[in-house]
Amino acid sequence: MRILLVEDDDLIGSGVDAGLRQAGFAVDWTHDGVEALLALRTMSYALVVLDLGLPRMSGNDVLAAIRHSGNDVPVIVLTAKGTVADRVIGLEAGADDYLGKPFDLTELIARCRALVRRSHGRSTEAIEYRNLRVDPLSQTVTVDDTPVSLTAKEWAMLNHLLAHLGKPQSRARLEDSLYGWHSEIESNAIEVHISNLRKKLGGDLIKTVRGFGYVMDKDS
Amino acid sequence: MTTSIRARLLALMLPGIAAVWCVAIAWSYQQTTHEVRQWDRTRLLQIASLLKDLDLDSLARLAPDGVDVRNEYPERPDSASAIDGDQVPRRALMEVRDRDGKILASSPDFGRFSAYKRSSPDANGVSSFVVDGALWNAASARDADSGRTISLIEPALTGSDLVSGVAGRIARPMLIGLPLLAVLVWVSIGRSLAPLAALSRAVRARDATRLDPIAPGPGPVEVRPLVEEINQLLARVQATFSRERAFTSDAAHELKTPLAAIKVQAQVALSSRDPEVSRVAMERVAQGVDRSARLAEQLLLLARLDEHEKIAAADVDMVAIAQDAVLARHDEMEQKDIDLSFDAAQVAFVRADATLLRILIDNVLDNAIKYGRPEGKIAFAITREGPSTVMTVSDDGPGVSPAERERITNRFFRGSNVTARGTGLGLSIVARIAQYFDATLQFAPGIAGRGLSVRLAFDGAQSTSPAGR
Repeated sequence: MRILLVEDDDLIGSGVDAGLRQAGFAVDWTHDGVEALLALRTMSYALVVLDLGLPRMSGNDVLAAIRHSGNDVPVIVLTAKGTVADRVIGLEAGADDYLGKPFDLTELIARCRALVRRSHGRSTEAIEYRNLRVDPLSQTVTVDDTPVSLTAKEWAMLNHLLAHLGKPQSRARLEDSLYGWHSEIESNAIEVHISNLRKKLGGDLIKTVRGFGYVMDKDS
Repeated sequence: MTTSIRARLLALMLPGIAAVWCVAIAWSYQQTTHEVRQWDRTRLLQIASLLKDLDLDSLARLAPDGVDVRNEYPERPDSASAIDGDQVPRRALMEVRDRDGKILASSPDFGRFSAYKRSSPDANGVSSFVVDGALWNAASARDADSGRTISLIEPALTGSDLVSGVAGRIARPMLIGLPLLAVLVWVSIGRSLAPLAALSRAVRARDATRLDPIAPGPGPVEVRPLVEEINQLLARVQATFSRERAFTSDAAHELKTPLAAIKVQAQVALSSRDPEVSRVAMERVAQGVDRSARLAEQLLLLARLDEHEKIAAADVDMVAIAQDAVLARHDEMEQKDIDLSFDAAQVAFVRADATLLRILIDNVLDNAIKYGRPEGKIAFAITREGPSTVMTVSDDGPGVSPAERERITNRFFRGSNVTARGTGLGLSIVARIAQYFDATLQFAPGIAGRGLSVRLAFDGAQSTSPAGR
């Protein structure tokens, strides 16, 4: 899942960037509102993490511009101004969630996951798919009740395919979803992850759409 | 000395009133005495005109004893007061002559007294003379019809209690009136001071958090300026309070940002399985702590600057301090490839404090380096302009728009097109220190119309080496 991080502070930005990557998200980090809007026009994101005190264009203006353009990407706002009034203004302007500084990184990641899950129309915590059980909170996967250990990228890919059941995903799309701007992608990275997932979860879960990409079938 | 206005007014007014009364009584006494004498003398003429129509028999009967001219009779015949001259029997001696000067009737002793030299008669024709220390009045009237000349002499009215009696009767209510007046004055002063008492109650009822203006009310005009002054003071205190509160709240928000960074980086370091990621995160934790410490330092400096009313100024050499500050930033400028030109005389003394001036120059320089562009220029100049010593630091970075230039010294203000991270306090500190030493701080576009130029003018500072150095 690809997340747009908008934060002008280097120290906070690099920390959130590293934390979200560790949690398996692909992160694009922009330092101001103008860059953020540009990124949003060229790329589809699962989530935006937006700081309010930005140079050139304030976070509230960025939020208004996102909503004005008809983009309903989930937005989680980070701010030092954590008063109720500030939160109300932000939520009414179209934010989906609010975190006051200083925030807890694990809480930010949990909220990001919850927002992404909700935006995919899933509200139950764990996803059951055939003999698979995927719990986004504990980041655990079981196959026939046997826990399986996945890397962050494998976890992200499985979640992406589960979020788009029945819809074939191109390799480019999967790369976008898995990697941020500054990640170096090896040419066969996607194939390696798919093959690892098949080894760990069973060979028939993920189907190859020849010459295009991969899909997990929707159960009828 | 703490005396009440009421007691002071009373102490001033009552002796004043009493003194005025005493003067009035003394003056009235004198006037009344004079009037009574006049009246007594004029009465002699009236008696004379009564005598002109009396027949010879009556005159003959009256002449031996003279006419009783006393003004009062005692209430009882035996109680005639020897003190009250009005009640002592007083006889006017008479002499009546006919047209030819022949004496018709004469009191026995009249001839004896007529020999004394008399004063010239007054407007009514009454004259007076002194016999054995006693004053006598004499009057003479000639009747045209009967041709008689009537002459009368009488002992003048002395020792009369008429005047002292009147004066006593007037003084008595005055004496009783004085304490009464004191009570009245006391009460009315109290009532007049009631608005002051109400005002002090209104002020007393307030605590440190209630700073809204006191209602002027229908009080007297004397109290209104006081209320207005108190209200203006309250407004000033309120403004200071609001500023302080805003500053505290802003400071808390500003501190949250580095704290958030520290927490995030610490959590990354704790949770990462990659030792390189952990190491970088821990380095950033340290950076975050440095940044918090710098912010705290600047906040403390501002608080200290606000606290002290005045820091003693001495003659300090701005050029030496500026050179030190520039040298301290050599590495920093080399990293950003900034070309700094330093243009100054040998020495330039200004009235300031060396430590604070260094902090000021540090902040101006830091700003120029931080917000100037990489491979840019900084022009540092110290020049003389008339009696002033002027320090100018210009860069050729992105600069500050004219609208934002006015707010640039506001605490926590950051320009909208800045890329570097600062506390937003640097120029506030510069402005505060400049204000301390009555230096003028101005902002203008920097080198070749780009960037920002900070101009600081110390007025009337000495340029030559001062005595005692």
